[in-house]
Amino acid sequence: MTDNAHNRQDARDAGERLVAGHASEDPFAAAFKATRMPMLITDPRQQDNPIIFCNSAFCKLTGYSNDELIGTNCRLLQGPDTDPSAVSRLRQAINAEEDLAIDILNYRKDGSKFWNALFVSPVRDASGEVIYFFASQLDFTDIKSKEAELARARHLAEEEVALRTADLTDALRAKTTLVHEVDHRVKNNLLTIASIVKLQARMTENSVVERTLMSVLNRVEALSTVQRKLLNDEEVGHFDVADFANTLMLDKIGALKRSDIRMTTDLREVVVPATKASPLALIINELVGDAIRRGLSDGGGEIHLEIRRLNGHFLIRVVDTVSPVDVDQEEAAFSETMLEACLKQLRAKMDRVVTGHRTDVSVTLSVKD
Amino acid sequence: MNILIVEDEVLLAMELESEVEDAGHIVVGTAVDSRQAIELIDTTAPQFAFLDIQLLDGPTGIDVGRYLSAKAIPFVFVSGNLKRIPEDFAGALGAIEKPYTMNGLQNAMKFLESVVDGRATSLVPPPSLVLSPAVLATLTA
Repeated sequence: MTDNAHNRQDARDAGERLVAGHASEDPFAAAFKATRMPMLITDPRQQDNPIIFCNSAFCKLTGYSNDELIGTNCRLLQGPDTDPSAVSRLRQAINAEEDLAIDILNYRKDGSKFWNALFVSPVRDASGEVIYFFASQLDFTDIKSKEAELARARHLAEEEVALRTADLTDALRAKTTLVHEVDHRVKNNLLTIASIVKLQARMTENSVVERTLMSVLNRVEALSTVQRKLLNDEEVGHFDVADFANTLMLDKIGALKRSDIRMTTDLREVVVPATKASPLALIINELVGDAIRRGLSDGGGEIHLEIRRLNGHFLIRVVDTVSPVDVDQEEAAFSETMLEACLKQLRAKMDRVVTGHRTDVSVTLSVKD
Repeated sequence: MNILIVEDEVLLAMELESEVEDAGHIVVGTAVDSRQAIELIDTTAPQFAFLDIQLLDGPTGIDVGRYLSAKAIPFVFVSGNLKRIPEDFAGALGAIEKPYTMNGLQNAMKFLESVVDGRATSLVPPPSLVLSPAVLATLTA
């Protein structure tokens, strides 16, 4: 008898002794043999810790016969793709005589792979010495492949999302570029219009023509200031009336070069949709412009601009105390027409109270409109 | 002061020239692209420049700005899109946003003159002028 055959016989004998120790009607032994859970027992006291007993579920799982399995070490289930670190953890647990649950890639007799949820546990006798190792296996290849399938599906979905996101980002970039391009052209055109008007005003020798052109320029520039304020805002499509009014007032104060005309402001942030920006800007421009025109006498005076919300409404108020001068009737009438048109556009209401040298104009409109 | 205007829109350049001259300065040249601008900088040695960013040969105003600042010539950007200006302003004193108003331009010019002369008394520029971080730091120092 060769050593190998001898060892095999020893393993078989040990298995038979183990079975003989249990009456045939022992329900535990019967359960061990009949369960659908693949199970085996090894004998660590024999050379190379061979399998001494395994149930038919284990034979079915691995494709080996009982004869082939008895006397061999469980490593016969390992193959090229078995993770060496899993094998080494298994070896350590056995050397340390500890329980171990581990997922390991195993091979059947026909070379096919299966994922094995392996549980190994030492069995001790009354003195505490390890006499057997018990191992149960669970083929979870199906779960593993479903996981892989899910991961693959998720990966595909992620790729699709990334692709769509790139498309949308490109579209957004194109749109943003277009908006900036259009904004740039509008700004340039407004400045070109202003330049044309100024050029003609410079060239004319007729003071009425010059005054008329400057009056046009004044309104074009109010609209230019609106355009400048529109896209700068984080909230594109909105317009901060107070910010506009502040710029307008500072522009005018700087240009008047009249220390005897004092301008004061009380401006609270009021944000309106961009569609209201132009008529609102023109209203403020006309009201302040009118006060300046009436106040351009030697006496000077004060002009106060107030912008705020009031009981769910939006208030623009210009109060001036000036020594009035005769204004150009045509210019005043034109200004009034502009004002009326803008008020109508916004469905706004205007109250004008004149007391002596004091003029108090309030324009109110609904913010929600 | 001798001033160079770099602006690809001839009408706008003409009007700006009139405004600059009305303020008592001399316009030594107007350029419509970066090549012409650099040529004029070399030949006319301006003391100040108004510089558009989008020129006939593309958004090259920034490069012209760096050329000016290498030569220690103060300048201001005049542009419809201030977001195009790099963080360091390419050495510009500041920026005037288009479309500027006549008053806005005059107020900005007055303030810039005081910065160039080193006698800026106000820390607050007019709303028509955005100062560069470097100039702001100098003014508050």
